[in-house]
Order: sequence, then C-alpha cells, then structure tokens
Amino acid sequence: MKKILNLQVNGETHEIAVNPADTLLHVLREGLGLIGTKRGCDSGGCGCCTVLVDGKAVYSCMLLALSAVGKSIVTIEGLSTDGKLDPLQEAFIKAGAVQCGFCVCGMIISSKGLLMENPHPKEAEIRQALSGNLCRCTGYHKIVEAVRIASAHS
Amino acid sequence: MARKNSATTAIGKSAPRPDAYEKVTGGKGFTINLKLPGMLHARILRSPYPHARIRRIDTSRAEKLPGVKAVLTPKDVPQTKFSPVLFEPTLAATMVQDMLILSDRIRYAGEPVAALAATSVEIAEEALGLIDVDYEVLPAVFDPEEALKPGAPQLYETAPNNVAVGPVFSFGDIEKGFAEADYIFEGTYETQRVHTCYMEPRVCVADTDSRGRLTIWSSTQHIFGLREKLAFALGLPESQVRVMKPPYIGGGFGGKLDMGLHEPICALFSMKTRRPVRLEQTRYEEFISTTRNPIKMYLKTGVKKDGTFTARYAKSILDTGAHATHGAIVVMVHGFFGFLLPYRCENKKWEGCSVYTNNMVGGGYRGYGCPQGAFAVESQIDEICEKLKLDPVEFRLKNAHKEGDPHPFNPGFTLSTYRFEDCLVQGAERIGWSERKAAGSGRGSKKKGIGLATQPLWVSGCMGFPDIYEHSGAIVKLNVDGTADLAVATVDLGSGQIITLSQIAAEELTLSPDKVRVTAADTDTVPFDAPAHASRVTYSTGNAVKAAAASAKKRLLEVAASLLEASPEDVELVEGTVRVKGAPKKSMNIADVVKRAESPFLVMTAQGPQPTSVQEKGTIIGVSSMAPPSNPSPATAEFVEVEVDTETGEVDVLRVVYAHDIGRVINPQGAEGQVEGGFQQGMGFALSEKISFDQSNGACLSGDFLNYKMPTAPEMPTQIESIFIESNEPTGPFGAKSLAEPCVIVPAPAIANAIYNATGARVRQLPITPERVLAALGKL
Amino acid sequence: MAFSKLKEVYTPQSSEEVVKLLKQHGHGALILGGGTFLHGLSARGLLPDVEALIDIQKLGLDYFTPSNGVVKTGASVTFTALEKQPELTKAPWLGVLKDALEYIPVQVKNMATVGGSLASSLPLFDLPVAFMTLKGSVVAAGPKGNRKISLDEFFKGQFENALQRGEFITEVLLPVPPRRTASAFLKNEKHANALAILNVGVSITLDKAGKCEEARVVFGGGVGDVPVRGRSCENALEGKRPNKELLKLASETVEADLNPISDHRASAKYRKAIAKVLVERAFETALQKLN
Ligand SMILES: Cc1cc2nc3c(=O)[nH]c(=O)nc-3n(C[C@H](O)[C@H](O)[C@H](O)COP(=O)(O)OP(=O)(O)OC[C@H]3O[C@@H](n4cnc5c(N)ncnc54)[C@H](O)[C@@H]3O)c2cc1C
Ligand code: FES
Ligand code: FES
Repeated sequence: MKKILNLQVNGETHEIAVNPADTLLHVLREGLGLIGTKRGCDSGGCGCCTVLVDGKAVYSCMLLALSAVGKSIVTIEGLSTDGKLDPLQEAFIKAGAVQCGFCVCGMIISSKGLLMENPHPKEAEIRQALSGNLCRCTGYHKIVEAVRIASAHS
Repeated sequence: MARKNSATTAIGKSAPRPDAYEKVTGGKGFTINLKLPGMLHARILRSPYPHARIRRIDTSRAEKLPGVKAVLTPKDVPQTKFSPVLFEPTLAATMVQDMLILSDRIRYAGEPVAALAATSVEIAEEALGLIDVDYEVLPAVFDPEEALKPGAPQLYETAPNNVAVGPVFSFGDIEKGFAEADYIFEGTYETQRVHTCYMEPRVCVADTDSRGRLTIWSSTQHIFGLREKLAFALGLPESQVRVMKPPYIGGGFGGKLDMGLHEPICALFSMKTRRPVRLEQTRYEEFISTTRNPIKMYLKTGVKKDGTFTARYAKSILDTGAHATHGAIVVMVHGFFGFLLPYRCENKKWEGCSVYTNNMVGGGYRGYGCPQGAFAVESQIDEICEKLKLDPVEFRLKNAHKEGDPHPFNPGFTLSTYRFEDCLVQGAERIGWSERKAAGSGRGSKKKGIGLATQPLWVSGCMGFPDIYEHSGAIVKLNVDGTADLAVATVDLGSGQIITLSQIAAEELTLSPDKVRVTAADTDTVPFDAPAHASRVTYSTGNAVKAAAASAKKRLLEVAASLLEASPEDVELVEGTVRVKGAPKKSMNIADVVKRAESPFLVMTAQGPQPTSVQEKGTIIGVSSMAPPSNPSPATAEFVEVEVDTETGEVDVLRVVYAHDIGRVINPQGAEGQVEGGFQQGMGFALSEKISFDQSNGACLSGDFLNYKMPTAPEMPTQIESIFIESNEPTGPFGAKSLAEPCVIVPAPAIANAIYNATGARVRQLPITPERVLAALGKL
Repeated sequence: MAFSKLKEVYTPQSSEEVVKLLKQHGHGALILGGGTFLHGLSARGLLPDVEALIDIQKLGLDYFTPSNGVVKTGASVTFTALEKQPELTKAPWLGVLKDALEYIPVQVKNMATVGGSLASSLPLFDLPVAFMTLKGSVVAAGPKGNRKISLDEFFKGQFENALQRGEFITEVLLPVPPRRTASAFLKNEKHANALAILNVGVSITLDKAGKCEEARVVFGGGVGDVPVRGRSCENALEGKRPNKELLKLASETVEADLNPISDHRASAKYRKAIAKVLVERAFETALQKLN
C-alpha cells in the first residue's frame, strides 16, 4: 500500500506516494526525477547515491524514504542556484576530476558535507571524507585536488 | 624534447571536457537514466548450481502474478550459438561460438536460467521466486588444471579435456637457447579474478517499432559490435537493429565489450510485447558476469651472465570459465604482448591454454591478458637481476627493442617512434633509483623499497591483429555560426575521447576546442568504428577524425576561394579565417563562408539582394571511413615506492612515477587522469581485489563493495607523477600514439618488485595480501 | 531494499509503544536503527518476512551522558554523534571507541547507530568490540520492563544475541574506570568499506606504582561467532609493570585464547599471527596515552 508523504528536497516540499520499502534513492530518481543521484550498487559502499540529510552525507540507498520525512535533503541538483555552480562543481571541472562522471555527483555531495563542517581540510581529511565514495576512473587524485581548490576559495 | 609547437590552436592543451558541466550538475545522458513510456522491467533467474542440467521449468505460477507480461525459458530463445565478444565478427576464426541466450545446460553458479518482464522491478523480482526449476546437479570443476586432467567433469562435448583453445607459438630453437644460457630461471606466477568495477552497472532498454525493427540503448563500448551480435543471436538482418550511442557511459574498461545477456533478453521481450523493456543489472549480477581471466604462468628463462636473454619459454593456463567468450582471444594477446614480444630474444616458445571450468565467464579488462603476463615476466626479470647482481634498468635496456627496429608484431612496419630508453632513464632519475638500497636492508618493522616494471611494447589500435576490427569513421560538419559538429560511433567511456577527438578536429580546422561539439550518433547515422577498447581511439579514430576534418576543410577552402575570387590553392585557413595567401585583408571567417554555402540563391547585402553561384552551395561536410596507417608502439616504465609492515604484512604505496612515450600529448590533464585512474586499477589488482567463490557450491563471496576491495581514496598514494615523453609519431594524428592500457598493466609487478626490494620477500601470486607477504617473509 | 512484504514503517514516540508494536507484529517486526545493515541482513536471507519496521529515532535515545560513574549512550546515537563527543578525545579510557570509529566511511557513520551495531551481533564489526573492551552492558526494554545485560553475555552467535522476543536495546552503559585507565583499538584491514579480518580492543588500568591493575583484551573480526576475550593476555599483564618485554610476552599468550576462522580473506594462522602484533601495538598506544 502506497503512502503519501512530504519530502523536503533542495528547499522545496514534494508530496509523493511511496511504498513503505522504497529507499530515498528510489524516490529521488524514479519519483522526483532527480537523476543526479546515481545508483551504483544499491547496497552501500559505492557512494554514487550520496545525498545530504540535515547537512550530513548519507547513502540514500540505505535510507527509507519514510525515514527521511521531516528532514532537509540536498541532492546535486540543489547545489547550483540559477545556473551558478557551487565552488565545488567549478573546481571539479577545473581540476579535471570528471571522467566518466558516474561517481561525481556523490563525490561532490560528500565533499560538500565535509567542507560545511571543515572548510579547510587537510589532504588526509579530504581522503578520509571520501572513503565511502568509489571512483574507478580517476584514482581520486584530481578529485582530492578539486576539493582542495574549492576549500581554498571558501 | 619536442614539446608542443607554439602554432597549435587546440592540441597539447588541457581543454576541459565539454561534458564536465553536465556531469557535475547531474548528468542526464547515462543509459541508467533512460525511461520510455509503457516500459517493462526485466529480471533474470540465475542458477544456484555451478553445473547442472535443467529437467523442467514451470513458469505458470509466475505468469499468473498480476503485472508479469512475458517469460523466457531456454525453449523460447533462438538456438544459434554465438560468441558475445564485440570487437570481432561473429564468424571470425578466433571466435568460439558456445553460448545461447538461455540454455538448459548450466555451467556456472549465476548462469541465467529464465527471465521475465513485468510492469515493475518489484513485481519482476517477486515473480522470479515463483518460477519452479528442477535441476539435475552435475559434478563441477573449478580449478583449470584439474579440469584438464582425464576424468574431470566435461563442460562441452566439442571441447575434449575442457580445452577451449590451445595455441602454441615457437620462434628460433628453444633447446639451443637453453643450452647457450649461463643461468636458467624457473618460476610459477598466478593471478586472480578481478572485476572492472565500472560504476554504472550494465543497463539497456530495447524497443520495437510497429514493423518489428529493434532499437537498443545500452551502456556498451561498441554500438556496431552490439548490432552485429544481436542480429546474429536473434537471427535478424543487421539492418533490423539500431543501436543508439549513449551520450555518457559510466565506465567500461573492457567490461562492456561483449553483448551481455540482458541485451538479447530485453530485445526478445520487446519483440514479444512490442513495448520498451529495460534491464539494469544489480551489483551482485555485475560481479558474476565479467572478469579479467585468471592466468597461471609457468616461466622458464635462459640468460647469459651479462643478462642477455637466450631462451624464453612460458606455459599459460587461462581459466575461461563456463564459456569461451573473451578467454579465447585474451589468451592470444596475453601470449604475444604479455610474453613473446616485449623483449628481444631469438629463441622463444609459448604454449597457451584457455580452459573451461565451472567458474563465471571472463571478459575484457584494460590490458587484455597483459597485466597477467607482465606480472610474471617483470617479476622474474627482477629475480634474475637480483641473482645476477644486475641493474633492472640496464637489464631491460639490454634486451629491449630499439627505435627503428622492425615492428616485432607487424613485420610491415618499423618502430617508427620508440623512446623506451627515455622512459626508463627519466623515470629512474625522478624516483631516485640510484639511491635504491639492497633488498630487505632497511631497519625497523616498517621497511621501504622501490620497484620497477615496464610494458615495453604495446599497441595504438589493433592493426595487424587478423580478426579484430580496426577501422574508423567520422563526420565533420560546419555550422553557420562557425562551429563544427563531430559525429563518431566511438563512445566516450570517461577516458576523454570526447575532448581529444574534438581537439583533433579543432586543430585541423584551426578552431578552439570548445567550437567543436561531439553530437549524438547511432548505427543508422554514422560510419562504422571499431570499439572504444584496446588503446586505439586517440590514434585510430583520431586519424579518421583528422581526415574528416581535412575533407571539410578542403570544401571550405573551395567555397571560400570562389567567394574571394581566388583559386583554392591560393587560400589558407588561419585561426578560423580563410584568407588569400599574401593578401591577408582578403579574408572571410568560417561562419561567413558556411552561411553563403547554406544560403538560398539570393542573399541580402548592404547593396541589396545579390545573386550567388551554385558552385558555393551545400553543407560543408567531411566524411571519412578508413583503417589507420599503422600500429605504432607506445612504451611505459613505472617506478613505485612502498612501505611494508613486516609484522602484519600490510603494504602502503607511497609514491608512483610513470614515464610514458605516448607520442604527442593531445590533452595533458586528460592523459594524467588516465594514468592516475590506471594506477588505482593496477594497485587493486596487485594488493586487494579478488572475486571469491565458495568452492563447495560456486556462490560468489564478494558480490558487494564491502567484500570486493577496490582501493579507496585514503589507501591510494598521495603522489602519482606522470612523465610524458613526447615522441612525434609520424603516422599519428598530430603526432599522437596511445596511452590507455599500460598504466594498468605495470603496477602489479612494480609493486611486487618494490615489496621485494623493501623486504627481500617475493610473492608470485596476486593479490599480494598481507597474509601472502607474511608467508613470504617466513613468518607464518 | 528487499522487503517485499513490508507494509508499515512506524515511528513510535515511547519505549512502551515500541514494546507494544513488537508484540503486535511478532516475527514480522524489526527495529530500525540507522538501517545500514538491513541490506547486509537481507543479502544473507535473514529478513524474509518483515512486515513492520519500527524506527526508533523519535524515542529521544540520542544522548551521551556521563553520570554517577556510568556513561550512558542512547541506542540511537549515530557513530558520528558519538565520535564528536569531546570526552572521546579527552578521556584516555574511551580511546578504544575513538579509534574504532576512525575506519568507517562517513556515510555509514552518519546513519549507523550504537544500538544497531550491537544488535546486529556480528563479530566482524568494530564498535561492539570496543564497547566490550570497556565492560559495557546494554539496557534492554521489553514486556517485563528493563533489564541490563553485560556485553560479555550478550553475544550468543552470529546474528544472535541475548535479547528476548519483544525486547530492544535502549542504551549502553559504560562504567567509568579508575583514573589511570587508557584504551585503544586496532583493525587489520586497510580497506575503508571492508570489515575486519581481525580487530582488537585493549584497556589497561595502572596503579599508583605503575603496575597493571587491570587489563582487558577483546578480539573481533574472524575470530568465531562472537567476540573473544584474551584472558591469558590479561592475566599475563595484571600485577606487573608493563614494559616492552612484558607486552611482548603477554602478546605471545593470545594463541591460547584464540581459535580463529579461515575464510576467503585470511587463514586462521594469519589471524593468530597478527593478533599478537595488534595486541602488543594496541597496548603500546594505550600506554602512551597515560604518559
Ligand atoms: C559500506 C559499509 C561499511 C561498513 N564498514 C564498517 C566498519 O568498517 N566497521 C564496522 O564496525 N562496521 C562497518 N559497517 C557496519 C555498520 O557498523 C553497521 O551497518 C551498523 O553498525 C548497523 O547499525 P544501524 O543502526 O544502521 O543498524 P540497522 O541496520 O538499523 O539494524 C541492524 C540490525 O539491528 C537491529 N537493531 C537496530 N537497532 C536496534 C535496537 N536499538 N535494538 C534492537 N535491535 C536493533 C535491527 O533490527 C537489525 O536487525 C559498515 C557498513 C556498511 C554499509
Ligand atoms: S548506490 Fe548507495 S552506496 Fe552504492
Ligand atoms: S569518474 Fe568514472 S567513476 Fe569516477
């Protein structure tokens, strides 16, 4: 039986019908069309599905949509405003941190979670904060560089 | 060194990828995002047994579940056997046709048994549980050497002793070579099963129009190969299948270089239901559907005191799993590029064997048989040097090919540009090779060491491989706003073709790269291209793009000449402007020329309407379809510094220096990105990654990212340095060769050699787990 | 997530309500902590018939309070919230918790809860070993009221624990040890996502003379069905002055207490070998905190 619930995503409230077992990832992608949040494993570990819930990076594939009610959710689509990119998005482009790009939205969201708490992280802290995000293309090198560039601008 | 020449407009610059903006804001263009109205969702039922015969399948309960629209069992699929490998024609001599879309004989745990399509994934999944299958369980064999023994369970009647293919190649006189040797070294080296781990799972959508023509959207590395394989397996004319090129694909690395079974299954469902049908594999399904084939290598090598090879022999046993798939070809590439060719030696012999077992199937993976080969060969060289007290850099130089030598693989060509020596010398200098200490001489429980490995010979494309497709095509079209559209069949797997090819077209047209747009493409609209695989796109497709751009430019100059009232030989294109030589004031920019070419007969000017001439008319377009001129070899050396905890066996990689001769570097930032990503894949292969199975029943034990250990950011070295030695390859587009695969091939032996240098312990089996290090140290 | 039978996710406001729901749904009910291990459980076929999830985030069990010689940690405290407690950095005796949290990916830490980590009852996890090292006990609420269960008695097997039908964990209690106590944790497994091949938590209390008054050693990872106490090692230390030689000697005794597993990740032999190394190093780290 579907339930109607209100989800607060990127500052907007969405009313949506979900199955009790639906994950937040599922609802974001299939229900709200927010396809920037990717499904890489649906079982925790790859990080492609990372979103911010009340400012903290979480795997949206492990969170039931029903458990996200009343919380503030931010996806990659919520980072840029009026076409102006977040400094992290700018930095990922500049540093060449985007290859296939499948991991990138999750990487940026995790980095955002980090920078919100720790605006000037050391390299080791950046790497630790990204330990729950896998990338098979870049070797993480330019991703770490991008976070450093973004943090220098904040 | 030939650094970028100042006259370029596009080449040699770190131009940002045109798709980066899209990808950092969401990235709509991935196949995983595609939804069509009325779309059904397919799921596959997989066998829990590694070897079985299906006596009976009863789908009646599943079919009754509301929402289930169609079911496929082995009796519902065409009975044409095929090989799923995309880069060769189905009927090529090296292909082994041993697969059916669904078969009533199961040869590995996880092999598809049946499939169904329903209105939602959840319903499809529930319905899978309602299919009743009666299996006759057969004895299984997992170890390839066991499988070769008499009395082992047989997988195919057509393959006695489970041998899928068993090539043998011999050059010179191997016995004589061993007789001439001062020393003979023998060793056994073994590699494991690893996954490509592209982040976007394999996913496709198939749709059928009202006349039965199929369209497929798929996260695949080769749209033309997929068209051919699908048509073959489904018994359709190729023109009845259209494969769309995905705008983005979330990685491939060789893992999407075959037709997955999801593709024909969705196609069959769509043909049956006349609705779009989608299938996205779960990560568990990913882990059991493609892998780098494990290879066990027995090496025997004869050398002179001074380190000259006199004889090289190897036997390679490759585990091809339940079906031959790539295993039939990987073994050959492994034999040649992983063993026979990289070094000079007159007497050499190689015996390969690709063996059927009840393990999962193999697949393509960056390096294609050579990460396995290089691990053995480059480790053994280190052992030889240790024993004979020779310097590993010198040793390799002594035995390496030289620039200008005949090409060892392609007798018609020479090694036109080949700067292997510079790779070794410059890399050694950067890492501080001369300060390298004797093996195991460090103090304390944590010991540091430096190791070297090389891939002296590699490919730029597949020219010279008898069965592999190697031609490319491109369309370059100029637009009225002065930009150019580039259409190619090649998909950008993330490795940056989208920008390097734009840069090549831009350079030819003297534009900046952002003026070239790579457009959508599909098998209906663009010329054939061999897949995005091997190390070929920059060189081979790059040459085709350059040719198409040159052809567009030629037409541009003709039209412009007519407008400027000059002859075509007297005009030139400089920074986006066509001008009459010697009279730079007489000029037109590209946009104005194209506008005239595309205009109707009358154009409005300040002087009122003016007639134009028919000779100027028509879209300015260039098309190419051609084989590349050659297959020049890049060369690679890698130096790695590690720290080994000799009490726990844990290994930290501290620093990596790569030196590559890849010809002219088209996009330095992109090239570095390839190297850094390549190291991650190589390091995972070396130290931690392994697909494990429960040998009692064949079930996968590493089917998620908690159990499959792909290196994460904190585990990676903080320093990965790339040295590019820019030889200027005369046959390459603006001097370029290739890069992709050697970066993945060399890390495992370089790390193994560094561990040896640190500790004096040699591990000949991958992955080099902490346990294996401790065992090699004699501490277990 | 694979919950095809799931009908309802409850968010009760009180423990009583939770107990009532657990009773009402019997086998079909499951407590939801952070939800990070539900996939792990369902992949092992352990959640076939779940109809109702009982999300306990609204019970107010998100406190971390030192009082009267006991530190109480609510079951809903996330790993991140725990890690941020200033006490974890300040108090050397809590070092084992701080160290254990270091290895886990941020996204998991932001969701996973103390209660969920213990209730999963998998010896491969890090946090349960750390809590056990600190002589922790859980408070279980159930139809008959609350009861306290020492972690030494709590774990009964893989995915099995002493909770009775209708009970759930509300908090973890840690007795505050004497002043000169420090603890540390080490894990053998570099990979951020992977569970321990072997891990160890140690705690040591020194008397005024610098002798070991009490030592605790707990092994987790591939050590069997439940975390294992290193009693021989504890005995070898107690009453003696812990110097390099003694630590070495004590670490040699761990073989007697361990009977680890062999699996696709490592052999029993390897696990035994590194157990010694990790114990010795962990005690060194803990002792450094007391200097
Ligand atoms: C990618 C990844 C990496 C990980 N890495 C590590 C690691 O490095 N080290 C490590 O230790 N762990 C690791 N874990 C495991 C993690 O610690 C557990 O998933 C977590 O502790 C479970 O807590 P939870 O609150 O999410 O529990 P849930 O998933 O909510 O629940 C798990 C089980 O506990 C039960 N439960 C939950 N709360 C209670 C309660 N209060 N009372 C009774 N029963 C309850 C549930 O019913 C369920 O059976 C990792 C997990 C993932 C996904
Ligand atoms: S999709 Fe959620 S972690 Fe992979
Ligand atoms: S860019 Fe491809 S996975 Fe990270």
